[in-house]
Amino acid sequence: MEYGFQYLALIGSANYDRAILPLHAPVSLIGENNKGKTSLINALQFMLIIDQRRMNFGAHSLERSKQFYFPANTSYILLEALLPQTGVVVLGCVGKGVSHDYEYFAYTGALDLEDFRLPNGAVVPQPRLVEHLAARGHSVFRYTPGEFRDLVYGSGRRRRAGEPEFGVFRLEHASDAKAYQQVLTRTLRLDRLTSDEVKSYLLEIFRRDLPDADIDFKREWDKAFAEVHADRAQYQAALKQRADIEQMARMHDERLMLRGKVTAWRPAIDAALEEWESHYTRERQQLIERGEQIEKAQAQLLEDDRARVGRRSELEAERKRLDAEQEEQAALERRFALIDDRRMLETAVAEAGKVLERHLARLAQAEGYALADLERERADYQTRLQKLEQRLQNLDDNLERRLQQTLPPEVGAKLAMLLCEDALAAGPARFELDSAALGRWLQDMPPPRLRLPGLDLDVSALTPRPPPQTAEALHRERARQRRRLRELDEQIEIARGHEAALRQKQALEQARRDAEQALEDYDRLLALRAGSSQRAARQAEIGQELAQIQEALDGARSQSDRLRQEAARNDRARNELDAAHERIGRLREARADRDPVFEYLPELPARPWLEPLAITPERLADALQTYQEDCRRLLELNRRLEEHLTLLHAGGLSKFQYAESPEEEIRHIIAFSQQLDKEAEALEKKARSAVVTVTAGLRELRDGLGSFQSRLREFNKLIGLRKLSDLDTFRIEAVAQTRLVEAIDVLINTAERVDSGDSFSLFDQASVLDDAAVDRARRILIEEGEARQGLKVSDLFRLEFVIGRKGERPENFADLDSAASNGTVLMAKLITGLAMLYQMQNKNHRIRAVAYLDEALALDRANQRSLIAVAEKFGFSLIFASPAPLDTVRYCVPIQRVGGRNHISSQGWQELEPLQVEQGAAS
Amino acid sequence: MPHEPIQIKHPEPLAELFRLLVSGRHLNRAADAALWVALERNQADYGALFEALGFALHVDGRGFAFFDSEEGSAQLTQNSRKLALLFLVLFDTQADAGQALGRFEDWLIDRELLEHACEQHQEILQAEGMDADGLAEVLGIAVRYGFARSEGGGWRLLPAVCRYLDHFEALAAECRAEQGEDDDFEAEDDPRGGANEEE
Repeated sequence: MEYGFQYLALIGSANYDRAILPLHAPVSLIGENNKGKTSLINALQFMLIIDQRRMNFGAHSLERSKQFYFPANTSYILLEALLPQTGVVVLGCVGKGVSHDYEYFAYTGALDLEDFRLPNGAVVPQPRLVEHLAARGHSVFRYTPGEFRDLVYGSGRRRRAGEPEFGVFRLEHASDAKAYQQVLTRTLRLDRLTSDEVKSYLLEIFRRDLPDADIDFKREWDKAFAEVHADRAQYQAALKQRADIEQMARMHDERLMLRGKVTAWRPAIDAALEEWESHYTRERQQLIERGEQIEKAQAQLLEDDRARVGRRSELEAERKRLDAEQEEQAALERRFALIDDRRMLETAVAEAGKVLERHLARLAQAEGYALADLERERADYQTRLQKLEQRLQNLDDNLERRLQQTLPPEVGAKLAMLLCEDALAAGPARFELDSAALGRWLQDMPPPRLRLPGLDLDVSALTPRPPPQTAEALHRERARQRRRLRELDEQIEIARGHEAALRQKQALEQARRDAEQALEDYDRLLALRAGSSQRAARQAEIGQELAQIQEALDGARSQSDRLRQEAARNDRARNELDAAHERIGRLREARADRDPVFEYLPELPARPWLEPLAITPERLADALQTYQEDCRRLLELNRRLEEHLTLLHAGGLSKFQYAESPEEEIRHIIAFSQQLDKEAEALEKKARSAVVTVTAGLRELRDGLGSFQSRLREFNKLIGLRKLSDLDTFRIEAVAQTRLVEAIDVLINTAERVDSGDSFSLFDQASVLDDAAVDRARRILIEEGEARQGLKVSDLFRLEFVIGRKGERPENFADLDSAASNGTVLMAKLITGLAMLYQMQNKNHRIRAVAYLDEALALDRANQRSLIAVAEKFGFSLIFASPAPLDTVRYCVPIQRVGGRNHISSQGWQELEPLQVEQGAAS
Repeated sequence: MPHEPIQIKHPEPLAELFRLLVSGRHLNRAADAALWVALERNQADYGALFEALGFALHVDGRGFAFFDSEEGSAQLTQNSRKLALLFLVLFDTQADAGQALGRFEDWLIDRELLEHACEQHQEILQAEGMDADGLAEVLGIAVRYGFARSEGGGWRLLPAVCRYLDHFEALAAECRAEQGEDDDFEAEDDPRGGANEEE
């Protein structure tokens, strides 16, 4: 006995007056198109889907469908089923009247349509149903849709008292009910099964093997990497500002040192300042006294020196005089080396006097002649004599005579007035005369004028020339002049002797003076000779005394130098003391340690100052200066460290911003900066760990895809048990969305390499955060994830139907409808749907259900048989709908129309007994 | 019972999607993830609507969609011819370089590759008056029609290029069939390199 659906019956529903359809064997439902075949089958939705939201009436809305199926409270949809635990039961659904609503009921026992007929032949109305059936021995249980759904799908609902077990379907997993119902809905119209629905149903069926939740990859990534990114930002901020941090570390170190130093120095400085005043007064007085002593010593020394210098000058003058006498004596000795008697000199003086006197007497004779006048006169006479001689020579032929001879007398006289005597006396050798030309020229001149080029001279006032002297007169004149010349020569001779005598007189006078001087000098020599020994003794004394004075002076100079140096030292010491005092006063007035920070300085972290502290008064000023500088530097360091910290914050390094104090923050920052290499390593580890974390979800997805594909392979085996039509190959493949799956694989592989640890070095080349492939994968997953509001396994693949006809290469089709002929597609859809339902059913609780196939004539008989066998294997009985009967079924059920209403009665069924089993059909 | 009007459950992306597709552009999952997901989830509704408007929406599971038009403008035909030449040259060059053609999305098409392709196909490109600059211009057209996108100083091909690759493979299969060499079509010389085949 096979459990499962037995009959479907309709009363007053879906345009059927009455209809009863066998469901326990393959049926050929015969009727023309649009004559109620599908309506009949769709009625099963009310019995099997129950949840109105999941019912599907194609183009018709639910409301219109309810109106269609439950027009009155006498409308019934009834299903008889044989259940293993309860036996034969009837499940029903009855309209409630004008609302077109309905209610469910069930009772044990076989379906008998007479049970729903009143004695008057009318159909039992809903309000009387329970009572009526009770009267006929059926205990009816009424259900709400929810209760009925739980009842049909055996979801563990608690039964009422006496209520039988009406559960029809038992699924492997109660939670499959939804998917089961969805697929079941489609089995009633499997020809309309779409590829997307197949994918959706398969996902539902296999969802237990798949991860439940969507993966919001971006959220997962951001979550996993939030800390990494934050740490990385801090790391990069520290790396970028490493130089600043190193500078800050140096300043921090210096501050620690200065705090220790200032803390240690402060009391010592205070004590030294207190002692300073008395030290200064005492020291200054001593220096003043010492300065006065030095001044006195210097004055005494100066006075002594002056006296010595005066004495030295006197001695030097004396010695100079003695030296001169010495030299004079030597010179006189040399001069009078040949004179050994003064009388020789005296004699020479007397001789010289005599010679002079004699000469003076001769000279007196030559007085009265002036030699120069005599010589001038003589030269004059000489010239005159020469001219006279020339006139005498040309007396017969000269210019005057020619003029007289060749020119008219007045003309010649006029010309002669103009010419000098010498010219007129010139001989013929000295002139050439063209008397005619000259006469014409002179004639042309009106008397008394004489015109020459540039000269017009009146000659009337000129004295006419006397007539020329005769030769005789001339000879007389010549003799007179020659006599005078001779007289002059004698006078000149006398005058010349007087001059020489005068010169000799002067020489004789000089000789006498020289003789007298020699005598005088000789006397001087004698005197010098007499004092020479005394002079030598005096010279020795002077030399000695001068040496003593020089020595004393030299000694005084060095002593003076010493005193001067000492005075300078003393002055310097006093100046320094004053300067130090002034400096200390100034520094004390402007103490840098008055800032409040120095009050609690000893409480702040510091490096102990271990160097010895010895502040002597002499070093106080410097020490105070250093102390002040240290204090100021400390304040500056405080300020600069604060600035640095602000800059570091601005530069993004805020990791330690919430430390207990800025000091603590600086310490942390410095430590952080010094361990950046380790930080980088830790960061990289963290990044890798984040990759591992983020890929956990992806791995689930990826595994889900693997599981799905594995389950699909099993499913393909199931649907491959039967050969479909002319197909060699029919299977469904989950083709991975390569881009997405590869992106996931990149991250998973990265995570695996990271996890294994031994490939650590592989990543040392660059951070995993900078890996281009990882980044591309991340971007793809984020893009897809955001577009899909989370990633699911279903996003990782698409279903393709692989169909291969005999002798042809299998081809992949995204859409089943376009893959093959109508019949083949129908079969493929049916088998796929049935296999899906089979997959969900509890294999130990097999209940045969029904599957419906419209347009069944599209299938040939072999395929019909094959389908029937496959459906049977999956626990379904097939209902083929077609205008004409099929002979491959058990029952042919025609739809009859009476008065515009449909009718199916069991009397109209044609039951076909198989005569023989065709080969291959029952396999 | 009369048919009821088309009910669009999620009409929001329709306008943008329609604008994209009607301009002749291809929608790529890799480039327009959000639109692609909207289409994927509402394919039946959108397809019906577009069909009612006279456009045949073709969605390819490999990650692209387009309006399938039998007729094309002269400009479209000319561009398609240029694109076919570009992709033929690129695929041939990459095949020679041992690249799996099915993984064309991984290729970064840069200037160097274009020049290399030009060198290898000098004859055919010269006949078309095309050089590396010309190929770059055609890549601009490819970007416009959703066959490529600019990236990192070059271009990357988008899944829509499968349309051309399918044609090239069909032609190659025909050639092989004519030469009687199609005995072992599932062997390793499958030009797709098994990229889309997941176990």
